[in-house]
Amino acid sequence: MVSYIVFLLVIAGIYALLAQSLCLAWGVTGLVNLGLAGFFAIGAYASATVVKWGGAPVPLGLLAALAAGAIAGFVVCVSTLRLRDDYLAIVTLGFAEAVRVVASNEIWLTGGTDGISGIPAGLPRDWGQGFHLASLAAVSAVVGAVWLALRRLVASPWGRALRAVREDQVVAAVAGKRVTRLKAEAFAISAAIAALAGALYGHYTSYIAPEIFQPLVTIYVFLAVTAGGNGRPTGATVGAYLLIAFLEATRFAAEVVPGVSALQAAALREMAVGVALILLLRFRQRGIFPELNQKAPA
Amino acid sequence: MPEALIQALINGVIAGTILAVPALGFTAIFAVLNYPNFAIGALATVGAYAGWVGNTAFGLPMAAALPVAFVAAALAGLAVQWMAVKPLEAAGALMMAIASLAAGLVLENMLRFGFGNELRGFDLPLLRDWRFGAFRVGPQQVENFVLALACMALLWAFLRFSRTGRAMRAVADNRDLALLRGVDPVRVAAVTVAVGAGLAGMGGMLVGLDTSVDPLVGTRLVLSIFAAAVLGGLGSIPGAVAGAIAIGVAEEVAVLAFNPAYRLVVGFVAILAVLTLRPAGLFGTRAG
Amino acid sequence: MTLLTRRAAFAAGTAMLAVPSLARAQGAPIRLGTLTPLTGAGGPYGPVMANCVRAVIAEVNAAGGVLGRQVQLVSEDDQTNPEAGVRAARKLIDVDRVAAIMGTWASSVTTAVAPLCWESRTFLATVSGADSITALPHNGWLVRTQPNTTLQGRKFGEYVLELGAKRAFFMAPQTPFTQSQFTNMKVALERGGGSADLLIYDANKPSLRTEVDQALRARPEVIVLGGYTPDSTVLLRDIFRAGFRGKLLAFAYSVNQQMIGSLPHEVTEGIYTLAPSPAEGSGGFDRVKRIVGSDNPDPYTCQIYDHVNLVLMAMAAGRDGTGQAIRDSIRRVSQGGGERVDNAVDGLRIVAAGGKVDYDGASGPCDFTDAGDISDCRFRYEQVRAGRQTLLRIA
Repeated sequence: MVSYIVFLLVIAGIYALLAQSLCLAWGVTGLVNLGLAGFFAIGAYASATVVKWGGAPVPLGLLAALAAGAIAGFVVCVSTLRLRDDYLAIVTLGFAEAVRVVASNEIWLTGGTDGISGIPAGLPRDWGQGFHLASLAAVSAVVGAVWLALRRLVASPWGRALRAVREDQVVAAVAGKRVTRLKAEAFAISAAIAALAGALYGHYTSYIAPEIFQPLVTIYVFLAVTAGGNGRPTGATVGAYLLIAFLEATRFAAEVVPGVSALQAAALREMAVGVALILLLRFRQRGIFPELNQKAPA
Repeated sequence: MPEALIQALINGVIAGTILAVPALGFTAIFAVLNYPNFAIGALATVGAYAGWVGNTAFGLPMAAALPVAFVAAALAGLAVQWMAVKPLEAAGALMMAIASLAAGLVLENMLRFGFGNELRGFDLPLLRDWRFGAFRVGPQQVENFVLALACMALLWAFLRFSRTGRAMRAVADNRDLALLRGVDPVRVAAVTVAVGAGLAGMGGMLVGLDTSVDPLVGTRLVLSIFAAAVLGGLGSIPGAVAGAIAIGVAEEVAVLAFNPAYRLVVGFVAILAVLTLRPAGLFGTRAG
Repeated sequence: MTLLTRRAAFAAGTAMLAVPSLARAQGAPIRLGTLTPLTGAGGPYGPVMANCVRAVIAEVNAAGGVLGRQVQLVSEDDQTNPEAGVRAARKLIDVDRVAAIMGTWASSVTTAVAPLCWESRTFLATVSGADSITALPHNGWLVRTQPNTTLQGRKFGEYVLELGAKRAFFMAPQTPFTQSQFTNMKVALERGGGSADLLIYDANKPSLRTEVDQALRARPEVIVLGGYTPDSTVLLRDIFRAGFRGKLLAFAYSVNQQMIGSLPHEVTEGIYTLAPSPAEGSGGFDRVKRIVGSDNPDPYTCQIYDHVNLVLMAMAAGRDGTGQAIRDSIRRVSQGGGERVDNAVDGLRIVAAGGKVDYDGASGPCDFTDAGDISDCRFRYEQVRAGRQTLLRIA
């Protein structure tokens, strides 16, 4: 039981990073990233290839993931920044699928659908429970660091400018904000955070494959961020831990629903995710930790 | 290779025409209600199952099963709209989009709960293709092609000649002006959602006829639908048709030109290229 | 029945959370887990697999259980996704404390879950095909019943030659075994003076007409289908429409009863299929037929039937309801002579009486190498005739 909870806390930490990524892009800047799973994948593959095949130390892999994520984020968003935000949503959705196709077929680079197994963790795996506790400490430290950094960024003049862009691009532009540039910066940083989450996931579980990075992951993160409050890093982070608690709780709940087959129980669990997201959007849109200054000064 | 290319073009035009039906539904909802409805894939699946039930349980022929698909998907679309999306109107297009994504997940799993994951095939004889020299076309394909064209013609007539259709176009063109002229926005929104979701449902059934029906049948189409709609310009009705045919052709020609496994990437690159070079799409209007 | 066991499982589960030491006392039920895809791309396969295991366990419990203890089944969904699979496996291992996890389907899920299993001394039985799986450093904690792709590829190649053809065309989506399957098939074909081409398609595409045109341009005598049921359905329709008159060869898990039922008969007529099989006259296959109520049970269902039977008997032979006992004893019930059995109820009786059994299952003789691969396997050669799979031979 303890090892189950430790494991879930590590996974929740990785989802917390994804949630923080989405918080910056969506909550603060108003850019919907439906391709979160794609950036998650880019980071996982960047770090895994650099460390496993390039023999680099893990910290270098994490840096490679950050860089790869930022570059990919910039490339993806740059063509849509002058358009309505819906376009970015569609482009990112396509991006995530494209990443999966490339990862499945470029076997020389990614190991194809076989994936990459035996990714070094940078910590000795034969510590047993100690390994998981050490990983938990490491991942939690990263989550904490990103949380602190995001809080400062969001509170800074740059963060206020992002919120101004979110509230009204035209007003922000008239007020002298460089809207396109601000959006590109925020999106690239956000993508880098998602990539960092991917890198940590690969090093912790030792295995990545294209099938991990399915669109459902993105929906999960939206659920997390909505639950916690999308405008605040604290909300997003807490939301991610609640998400994992919710996902696992549905597993036990599905076992007590009488008279349904295993398949129907599985369908009910996925339904619960969708229903929870709809209900939260409707009744608790600002989340558990609502943004304090709802309207930013332009 | 010219024959291979021409054959791929024929295949692409036909595939694109079928794709145009759900793409029209997506773009119509976008034009009038101003948000991308990400439940479109699940709505297509609803239509596919409804048509399948109509066909196999009640023995309906295809032309009669198609309206069943339309009605079922339209009802599901209205349910999604009223229960998930509409309450978020004040929160903006993105919130509505996300709610529709969640609603799509719910719909997909309701179908899985009810029907299981088994593949369901329509009760329909499969015919060999007709051959014209070096080229071939399938009778079924032609039938689907004609049905798809009929759907589009009906939509066109509806938008052009009916009062509600004209009101929809008015709202799409200029919302405020339309409201000033006394268009009932609630009614127009409801009709648009019903028509849009219904088109998606018919599209799903047309694809299901050609493949088989399972809970993911519509989801597999989603990216092609988006690519088609964006390529034609989000919210443009003729654009969705042109975009769908272009995507259909591009996906088939890509089989000859590159690795066939890269089909999805073709759609994605097409979206990126269009948005970079000509953001309004081939026909589009409302990009800014 | 289902209802009762579910509630019982939950009651036991909650009791265990509260007082773990009590629950593990003598006489407490033995827990086993299935981890099959119930949603996602593997959805057409996983539900039947889970049901088959449930039925076997019900039979065994009715006959008195294992080592005097009842057996409880916990079925989780891997969502055909390694991330979800790992979470589910963690729950099975740490909360339910299952002795074995059975039926992982996608190679990626198996590869992701395997390390958790061997680290926590939980036995893993899988149906995944990728060659890399048994090469993992699993130290005996894993067996697989699916023949590896080297063997399957060779069999496909040899069968093409046997059908009197030289030119084969392999059409498949990108899976962990596509490349290896093709390479081995090609080697076998070329040895017999034949040739093979490959086309990898997108499994999500609603029409594969142009892909089929591309394949037909190579004028193949045999088209070999390497996909799963949903995409193979699309492919077969388009092959039929194109008027292909050659022969078709496929895995029995893709051209299965489900697919044959969903397509007009003339489309599937004459397709040759291969599936791993026990020797002729083995009763396991008939038992699976009865359990799932179909004349042509899916090969994956046959394999998971073997998993659960082997696991149950290995615990009895090891005199302990743990993963360790299964790992140490599975080869004592799967091979090495003894009384032939094809189900756990008979096997458990013999083992309890101090006898030695040698299990012959529904998917094959189930004899394992040290690496966990099956060492010997026959194949069922079948042909679809008038909407039914007809056995040609077992060899």
